[in-house]
Amino acid sequence: MANPTAEWEKVGDKFYRKTQLYTAVFDQDLELENYIVTGCSYGGAIALYRDESKLHSFRGTQASKSSIDLYSCAGKLIRRINWDKGSIKGLGWSEDEKLIVVTADGTVRCYYDLQGDFTQFSLGNGADEYGVESCRFYGHGFVTLLSNNHLISVSRYEEPRPKLLAMPPEGNVHSWTLIPPAYTLSRSVEVLLSIGQTIYVVDATESEDRMLDIGPFTHISVSPNGKFVALYTESGRAYVITSDFQNRLSEHDSRSKISPKNVQWCGNDAVVIAWEDEVHIIGPNDAAAKYFYDGRVHLIADHDGVRLITNDVCEFLQKVPEVTDEVFRFGTESPASILLDAVEQLEQQSPKADDNIQLIRPNLVEAVDTCVKAAGHEFSIHWQKQLLKAASFGKSVLDIYNSDDFVDMCETLRVLNAVRFYEIGIPLSYEQFLRLTPENLVRRLINRREYLLALRISTYLRLPTDRIYVHWASQKVRVGSEDEDTICRLIVDKLAGKRGISFEEIARAAYDEGRGRLATELLNHEPRAGKQVPLLLNMEEDEIALDKAIQSGDSDLILFVLLQLKKKLPLASFFRVINSRPTATALVESSAQTDDGELLKDLYYQDDRRVDGANVFVREALKQPDSRAAIDKLALATKLLSDSKDTSFELKALQEASALLKMQEAFDRDLTETFTGLSVNETMFKLIKLGYQSRAKKIQSEFKVPEKITWWIRYALSPSSLLTITNEPLLHSLRALVSKRDWAELESLSSTRKSPIGWEPFFNLILAAGNPKLASVFIPKAAGGLESAVLIEMWEKCGMRVKAAEEAVKARDVAAVDRLREAAGQGTAEGREIERLGAGLKR
Amino acid sequence: MAPHAGFDTDQVKDKARKDILYLLEGVRGKKNLVIETALAGPIGLFVKFSTLQDYGVDKVFLLENGNADVSQRNVVFIARGECAKHAQSIADHIKRMQRESQTGHEFSIFWVPRRTLVAEKILEESGVLGDTSIAEFPLYFLPLEKDLLSLELEDSFADLYLRKDPTPTFLLARALMLIQQKHGLFPRITGKGDNAKRLADLLARMRQELIAGEDSNESNKLGLTPSTTIESLIVIDREVDSATPLLTQLTYEGLIDEVVGIQHNQADVDSSVVGAAPQPAPGSSKAVGGAPAPAQAKKRQIMLDSSDKLYHQLRDTNFAIVGSLLNKVARRLQTDYDSRHGSKTTAELREFVNKLPGYQAEQQSLKIHTGLAEDIMKHTRTDQFGRLLEVQQNLAAGADPSSQHEAIEELIARDAPLAEVLRIMCLESCISGGIKPRDLESFKKMILQAYGYQHILTLDALEKLQLLLSRTSPMATMIPMTGGASHHHTGTKTNYTYLRKALRLIVDEVNEHDPNDIAYVYSGYAPLSVRLVQCILQKQHLTSITRGGNANAAVATGGASQGWRGFEEVVKHVCGQTFDEVQKGEDKAVKARALLTGSGEKKTVFVVFLGGITFTEIAALRFIAKQEEARKEIIICTTSIISGNRIMDAAIERSTLGKSGV
Repeated sequence: MANPTAEWEKVGDKFYRKTQLYTAVFDQDLELENYIVTGCSYGGAIALYRDESKLHSFRGTQASKSSIDLYSCAGKLIRRINWDKGSIKGLGWSEDEKLIVVTADGTVRCYYDLQGDFTQFSLGNGADEYGVESCRFYGHGFVTLLSNNHLISVSRYEEPRPKLLAMPPEGNVHSWTLIPPAYTLSRSVEVLLSIGQTIYVVDATESEDRMLDIGPFTHISVSPNGKFVALYTESGRAYVITSDFQNRLSEHDSRSKISPKNVQWCGNDAVVIAWEDEVHIIGPNDAAAKYFYDGRVHLIADHDGVRLITNDVCEFLQKVPEVTDEVFRFGTESPASILLDAVEQLEQQSPKADDNIQLIRPNLVEAVDTCVKAAGHEFSIHWQKQLLKAASFGKSVLDIYNSDDFVDMCETLRVLNAVRFYEIGIPLSYEQFLRLTPENLVRRLINRREYLLALRISTYLRLPTDRIYVHWASQKVRVGSEDEDTICRLIVDKLAGKRGISFEEIARAAYDEGRGRLATELLNHEPRAGKQVPLLLNMEEDEIALDKAIQSGDSDLILFVLLQLKKKLPLASFFRVINSRPTATALVESSAQTDDGELLKDLYYQDDRRVDGANVFVREALKQPDSRAAIDKLALATKLLSDSKDTSFELKALQEASALLKMQEAFDRDLTETFTGLSVNETMFKLIKLGYQSRAKKIQSEFKVPEKITWWIRYALSPSSLLTITNEPLLHSLRALVSKRDWAELESLSSTRKSPIGWEPFFNLILAAGNPKLASVFIPKAAGGLESAVLIEMWEKCGMRVKAAEEAVKARDVAAVDRLREAAGQGTAEGREIERLGAGLKR
Repeated sequence: MAPHAGFDTDQVKDKARKDILYLLEGVRGKKNLVIETALAGPIGLFVKFSTLQDYGVDKVFLLENGNADVSQRNVVFIARGECAKHAQSIADHIKRMQRESQTGHEFSIFWVPRRTLVAEKILEESGVLGDTSIAEFPLYFLPLEKDLLSLELEDSFADLYLRKDPTPTFLLARALMLIQQKHGLFPRITGKGDNAKRLADLLARMRQELIAGEDSNESNKLGLTPSTTIESLIVIDREVDSATPLLTQLTYEGLIDEVVGIQHNQADVDSSVVGAAPQPAPGSSKAVGGAPAPAQAKKRQIMLDSSDKLYHQLRDTNFAIVGSLLNKVARRLQTDYDSRHGSKTTAELREFVNKLPGYQAEQQSLKIHTGLAEDIMKHTRTDQFGRLLEVQQNLAAGADPSSQHEAIEELIARDAPLAEVLRIMCLESCISGGIKPRDLESFKKMILQAYGYQHILTLDALEKLQLLLSRTSPMATMIPMTGGASHHHTGTKTNYTYLRKALRLIVDEVNEHDPNDIAYVYSGYAPLSVRLVQCILQKQHLTSITRGGNANAAVATGGASQGWRGFEEVVKHVCGQTFDEVQKGEDKAVKARALLTGSGEKKTVFVVFLGGITFTEIAALRFIAKQEEARKEIIICTTSIISGNRIMDAAIERSTLGKSGV
């Protein structure tokens, strides 16, 4: 087995290694130099598109059809997407392996599954007018440069909202790149534009000149962690600076007159410059190493390295991981390397194995850990095995060792080796695997329709398998040639009892394929209403959609369905649908209450809900600016109720309301005061207050206001009402008299024989008005039906303890007398008087 | 995952704060906020205005005012997604701003608590959807106190019972689901009432949907096993006991709510009552919603929560003893303060000076509460208040309703506040199975004549709420007493006559100073809703007091919750469905969770009042919580805080005939 250090190259004081991942990648006929090649991160797919700016030889009609070809890193064609939508100005990938295609007129297609299914949106913001110049992509978004130097940013592909960034200055953009929002202080994407000698940094709100004088730059590249920027000038010099433009870190002269094809970062420590068939790797302090190729080489930057693609090979260039360095570096005597050596000795059954172990005994744990980690970073299965064996051997010597990492690593390597296999062609490094997460790896496999492997890996790593089944089933309904019943049975059988299956997705696939009945059948197995409803609406299964929405209890969903139905159906059918569903009716009613009175009227009319219908008119009446209009509306309400027996009360009330409005209108006119808007009682009160007794009386009789109520109301303020008091002493408003503080009149009232409301109210009101003396006059009159305790309290409230004591004595209430005496105080005249009264009682 | 301790309301608050700040941070640069009025108060509870300013907020406008200006490029709308009205008004705003200003504005909408299809449809139809970036601000429960979570849905009562709109139930289920996802399933769900049952069904459904959801990763699965820190969930539908909130609340907090009104822990009080605000506005009262309102210049907003130690002490006591408590505090404060004369050494003096800010805060709060208590006293001493209370208590105690009619008529004639009058009428209807048709008709007529014919709508709404019904109405009939096999007489309404005895709702000898029963909150009436909770949590205690045993007997709970056991018969006389469900998980998962979180000795019980809870009921629940302190912790959840007046507000028509817009 070749020594792993064979492909190592020293750059400064660090080693870089180039690992051959796959050979015979592309057909030799494929002229890679004529293609735009862009690859997805994490060892994802590669998209090839013929570079439109290059001439190419005519090969007959068949080949002239342009297409975007998706390959795996091993050169396996995943899918050919035929392209006839015009010139492509941007071709890139999102982190989750969506292919993004941007055309010159600003149309964006997002191919989300590697199989040619796409969503489409338009950039707007003048893209169609000025034309797209180029695009730069990052994890989940991209930025487009238009020919007028405007920049449009798209920050997500679900519900994209293309936004114009701040205006950069005019001028030729030599090159440009961006810093993803995750790495900027502003949390907005930042764009670096090389214009003139300097660089402008543009974000959502401002465009700032960074005041450089070493440009123009033909290439700009930002390191994966967003901290550094590599600049390459026309004169062939490369600079590395910090992304805040504060420090210049290193400088390198390539001594090349030819402009390179590509400048990329290799991890965060080195920059890779690629010419047609030559690749330089530049480390800190101007250190460099060079690689040469036979044909055109393309660079695909990843998080921890760069993939180099030629017709023949796919290679991975990365800094040698520290653990690997520790184990394999020539001449090293690290514990891990000795442990590795020990296992080789062991295989040769040499006693030196044990010597080795004894040698590193104190550092054995560390050595085992290092071997485990180094195994992870190894692409060669042979060395993975060797390293794990070494770890295992070291472990066996140790008394206590936590094997979790070892077990995890074994699992991970199994998965990595499986997906690196050339037929799958995902050359994930260990670090990339950790960043990508197993879930996303499975997702990528699903998109490649590698269901079996996806399923095996998921089960092996104890991950949910629902997505795989759903995807498989969706594929089945799309392309399955069996009849619908068989397919449905097949799917349901396979998926029964599995958790988290979205039948909606499968049903949607069936529906999109035109298999409506199959879709309905599948949808019945979907537990989530929120998922069922939109599809059911699409399928025009309106009533089922409504029922499912109601079952979900989600009023938003119900209203959404109702909104659609209302638009779609004639009113009568709409009512027929909702009538049998009380929740739906209730929601229609409450949402129509604010803005759609006409709908309500129709609804109540067809359902014969007269009172409700009438109330709609009453509500309208309340909104009218004047009495006339209000009366008209009330009349409409009245008409609705006129021939029903059960609603006589409501009918009468409505008639009274109109009658009152009419009378008030007349009063407003005749008396130059405003009555409109008052209630019956208030109107009477105001009339009496203003001295219009007869009119008040008319109201009383017209509306049959009970005597008792009138009695409470009619004590009005004005002197003229006092006149009538003498004439009709029993019908005078207590309230008004009291509020006028007309004590004399009130006192004269006390001489009347009877009051329909009793005399207690007089007492209370007058007392509250602050005239206890007058109030006390009413106590004897009120005495009739009241208990002695109440009377005692009444006297007390007037401050007449003696009178209270008399009452107490009458009731033979010793306790009360004592209490009163206490309250009055022993020495006072009052106290003595009470004592005297009480004495009689105690005897 | 770190083993999470039990449920803590502060986490909810922190999360809400983090959520909104994160969202605001996402909008770069200075921005103007346009907030729905009903959200301004709640947001002010967990984030201060100064913090918002730190996050680039320049001005705050209220959505309903429609006056947001175009001074900033970024405009952020915050509104409830459930309400189509707000979507329309946001769309109008955006269109107006785009017309008025040349700068290309960036519009963001944060929907609370979720984005809805309907709102987005409206934005789409108005042609502004493409101009906005939309985010969700998942603010469900708002922690009003450490033991009190509210959705603060002001209209939830009207939505549920007047308009039969299930939105509050759905949102409550969502909110509870979030708790379950974090802390595990409620091992047991017990409840009463039709809407409560619907809530439980929704929870079961959402659990299924969550399992079906694609993101079923490990942490979610853990969330779907029964919790080891939560004992159970108790759901009480407001409908099962409509009478309680109609009674006047008699705790200090309850009375403040009745007289002044409390909203989101804040009350606007006349500054003549509590004194003007001290110079630097206290706490967060100058919070988000602080849109200057010159008309209310005389009002002062005071914060009513447990950060005020004095208030914490007073809030749940019967108002009758508040005066003497205040007195005691005043005297203690005086002695403390006078102690400075006794301090001889400089060290003692320094100690005193260190305590000074504390004294000052206490004094400030004492001043506020003395003023407030006096003001309320003024109200409670009125003849009218006494009359109202008397009628209410007579009705609650089961007096012949017709004996109270004269008093009601008098109140109407004397122009007592409409809400109060209606409350009494509704109380009679609820407690005695409707009002006699003739009496009801004459009452209605009197109401219309005294308060205006617009109340045709009010009366209709009350009937729809099933609060004011005629005795002939089938909906008013009470559930018949058991034994009486009269099949022709099947009612559906809560039978207070039966329950008054069976659950001892009337307790005559309440000691307000040192209460021994929840009845102290209404000075002699124990709220049925809370008695039902006691049926589950305090079985022995309740048995002992209903059977006339010694109320002070050891308060023991029969082990873990046992649902309604022992009270099945009683519960039959309360309206609505009864349920008691156990949520199980896979044994393995249960063990794993137990291992991970450890089974704490003290478990949490969530008591949910669907449709609203009054402050008195909260006080009563806290009273129970205090008794059960050693064994469990009670967290109260609700859709909103309600009171009799707020219930009436749902029905009362505000406009008058012939004078629109007045």
